Amino acid sequence: MGRDIVSLDDLTVNNIGVFKKINSVTLPTSYSEQWYKDSLNTDQIVKLAYYSELPVGAIKAKTINSAHKISTYENMQQQQINAKIVPNAVYVESFAVLEAYRGLGIGERLLKFLEEETKKKFIHEIVFHVHIDNTAAVEWYEKHGFAKSEEVLKDYYKDQGLSNPDAFILSKSI
Amino acid sequence: MVAKKGNPIFANKEDGNFREALKLYDAKQYKKALKLVETNLKKNSNHAESLALKGCINHNIGNKSEAESYVLKAIQKAPANYLVNHLAGIYYRSVENYVEASKWLKAANDNGSPNKPILRDLSLMQTQIRDYKNLKDSRQQYLEFQPGYRANWTGVAIAHHLNKDYAAAVSTLTKIEGIIKEHLTDADRYEQSECVLYKVDIIAKSGDIAKALATLEEDSSEIKDRLSFLEYKARFLMLLDKKHEASLIYRQLLQRNPDNMQYYNLLELSLGTVGNSVDLRLKLYEKLDSFYPRSDPPKFLPLTFTPSSHARFEEKVRSYLVPQLKRGIPATFVNVKPLYKNHKKLKVIEKVVLDFYAAELPKIDNPTVFVWTNYFLAQHYLYLNELDTANKYIDDALKHSPTLVELYTIKARIVKHQGKFEEAADIMNAGRELDLQDRFINSKATKYYFRANKVDEAIDCISLFTKLEDGVINGCKDLHVMQVNWVLVESAEAYKRLYHEYEAKLKEFKESSPLESEESKELENELVENIETYKGLALKRYNAVLKIFKIYYNDQYDFHSYCMRRGTPRDYIDTLEWEDRIHSTPIYTRVLKGMAEIYFEIYNEQQVKQSSESPSIEEGKTTKKQNNKKNKKKSQINKKKADFIARVESEKDDEDPLGAKLLSDLTNDDQIIDKLFQLYKPLIEEGKDLRLTHEVLYKTYLIEGKYVLALQSVKSLNKVLGGSSDVKLRSIGERVVELSETAQNDKNANAAIVKVVGKGLVSAFPEFGELSKEDFLNVYSK
Repeated sequence: MGRDIVSLDDLTVNNIGVFKKINSVTLPTSYSEQWYKDSLNTDQIVKLAYYSELPVGAIKAKTINSAHKISTYENMQQQQINAKIVPNAVYVESFAVLEAYRGLGIGERLLKFLEEETKKKFIHEIVFHVHIDNTAAVEWYEKHGFAKSEEVLKDYYKDQGLSNPDAFILSKSI
Repeated sequence: MVAKKGNPIFANKEDGNFREALKLYDAKQYKKALKLVETNLKKNSNHAESLALKGCINHNIGNKSEAESYVLKAIQKAPANYLVNHLAGIYYRSVENYVEASKWLKAANDNGSPNKPILRDLSLMQTQIRDYKNLKDSRQQYLEFQPGYRANWTGVAIAHHLNKDYAAAVSTLTKIEGIIKEHLTDADRYEQSECVLYKVDIIAKSGDIAKALATLEEDSSEIKDRLSFLEYKARFLMLLDKKHEASLIYRQLLQRNPDNMQYYNLLELSLGTVGNSVDLRLKLYEKLDSFYPRSDPPKFLPLTFTPSSHARFEEKVRSYLVPQLKRGIPATFVNVKPLYKNHKKLKVIEKVVLDFYAAELPKIDNPTVFVWTNYFLAQHYLYLNELDTANKYIDDALKHSPTLVELYTIKARIVKHQGKFEEAADIMNAGRELDLQDRFINSKATKYYFRANKVDEAIDCISLFTKLEDGVINGCKDLHVMQVNWVLVESAEAYKRLYHEYEAKLKEFKESSPLESEESKELENELVENIETYKGLALKRYNAVLKIFKIYYNDQYDFHSYCMRRGTPRDYIDTLEWEDRIHSTPIYTRVLKGMAEIYFEIYNEQQVKQSSESPSIEEGKTTKKQNNKKNKKKSQINKKKADFIARVESEKDDEDPLGAKLLSDLTNDDQIIDKLFQLYKPLIEEGKDLRLTHEVLYKTYLIEGKYVLALQSVKSLNKVLGGSSDVKLRSIGERVVELSETAQNDKNANAAIVKVVGKGLVSAFPEFGELSKEDFLNVYSK
């Protein structure tokens, strides 16, 4: 009936609770209050996805310079790019769709949004970390044009209390 | 108010001055007017007009306490002076004492005031105090003074109507219609339409339905409100037993609005299908459904009249429910809930939904269907009070879609029903945090905090949606200004639970630690202080609602003139009728119920105190308390108290922010039962069908020794509780025994009265005369 059952919407101060909820129930990692607060800043790439008017997915990314090597999850979340440095990549900080709503094209919509935003910034690379045990996610990303790095980043998730703290680095050039 | 020139009453210098002062008063130059009036009074302290004016001026410049004494003095000196009468009327109107105001305005007119607008003001006053008998005269006299306005004619007609003189009302309306017909402009068309419908309505009220119908048809071209036209017409046709014609109109109405359930019922009445076979009715509704496929009633109504044993009932339920579940309609449960009164139907619905859940749901791709079906089942089992099952369904739904706010409201409700109020509030709040701009969930979270006795959290929560002025820490004051009654009642009830909790603690404390150490004394004082604070606050909030209802009642004042001018007599009459029932509305009675409980508690405390404690001990206690306070770090306490007051203040610079004065006035009032009776007085008429009315009145009559009235109340209560059936209720039986024993044991009671009551009880409850007390109570045991 005309309207798409999947739709995207902005994050606002009023629905930030939804963002927190989606991340906390789907992702094994945790984010600080400050991180959520910052996600309302205008320089952030952030979007919520709705299925049948129900919020079910969320993505947040930021620009980075990939020359900086960062070895742990916590540092990665805190890192803010200095205004003087020219960003050359978009780094995905969180990307989640509620389990019951996967396979319905919601992730694709969010990814498409991310790629468009990346292009708008004249950046040609998207990167992120994936927990090494999360094979389903890795498969999904590979299906959508991402490539896994050869090496494994050791102890990336060390302080997040995961049984296996290593991570893959995934990236896609656009 | 302009005094006419050349009036002989202004014969001397004082009168001249007074005239001048009046002009200044009308121009709101109160200071100057006061000066003139005072010069007058210095020369002639008996100058009544000046005294009266001085009263009015004092009221306007803020000396409210002094104002009335001047007015009274003036009235005493010159009770028949129309200027004094008029000023007295003005004064009492401004203090909203409409009984006195109308009395003095009427006196002004009767004593020959040439000022005719007094009559208009008088008629407003008379309507306000429902003095319809005299209203008719003042409206009529004012009409004769200014017949050129339709509003004045409408006013007279309404006055006749309110006096139930329908014929006079109709003839007034007809007369002005005839006069005005030639002169109507487009702008008058709405008023004309309303007045014509009003006229028709009155004719119908007088009982002459045929004439009402004829008039309606005759004036059809004048009526702009076609919906009312059709509704009136259909109603009249039904009353005249022209059912076929009525049914045609109802079909027309259905075309206009196929979602109005009432029209379907009325259509059936006019077609006479109600008593007919279910199959025939089902056919009718299937046809209506094909006409209006997007409307709910033709789908839903068959479920109400089809018995659960009927072969097609289950099929009908399925075809109603399943599409709604598939479309994920949140209100699905609410839609079918009216059917739940019939337990067999409930079971069929349960089966249909469980079947759907097991067989169809797994095949559906859209994940939201799963959520909404679980949501439905959770509500279903909550209704049945099978809380564990309800919990299971809602937990599944929450696990599946933790971002759906509606799920949290049901989860919280289930937990609340388990008696875990704090947990329920936390769940509701978790839902609220998902969508901060959702007022519904915000209000729900607020209410649940109140239920958990967390008043501060509740107020902070609702304060997100109130206006916060500078220097104000929460929305408490704005909630009073905005007349948010439900918050005020909920907070009063929370305070009441809190002080009851502290009372229980105090009792326990006194029983467990008989030692009179300094420390235990301090603890005890703290408990006593908490009890007093929360009791005071409970009274304060309850009284705030009473005040708001008083405002509601007084607010109608403006409509007595406004509605005449706007030409909306029908809605005006509805408003008056609503105002006449305002004290029996749910919020108000809830407040009265809570207040009665507190009043009776205080009364009982007074009785205990009177019989046991001597006042000197009481005094000793308070001084000790004060000493203790001094010993503590006083500033710290004051700071804490000031913070607390800032949070609970109901208006800026509240004189009694904690209701402490309210409470002490009540505890020291030896007429507290009469005070309570005054609160309940309006309910004797407005709330005669309410259980609460008779329960409380019975108790007050019993305490005051008015046994005949108490007998009346027991009888009324029996009627309200039992309805027409002849059940014998325990609560009635106990009251019968109590009344009989109290009356007989009362040494001060008039013997004749006691006899009357005894006889009355026996004639109303025959078993009481025949059986022993125990056997009687065994009979009245339901």
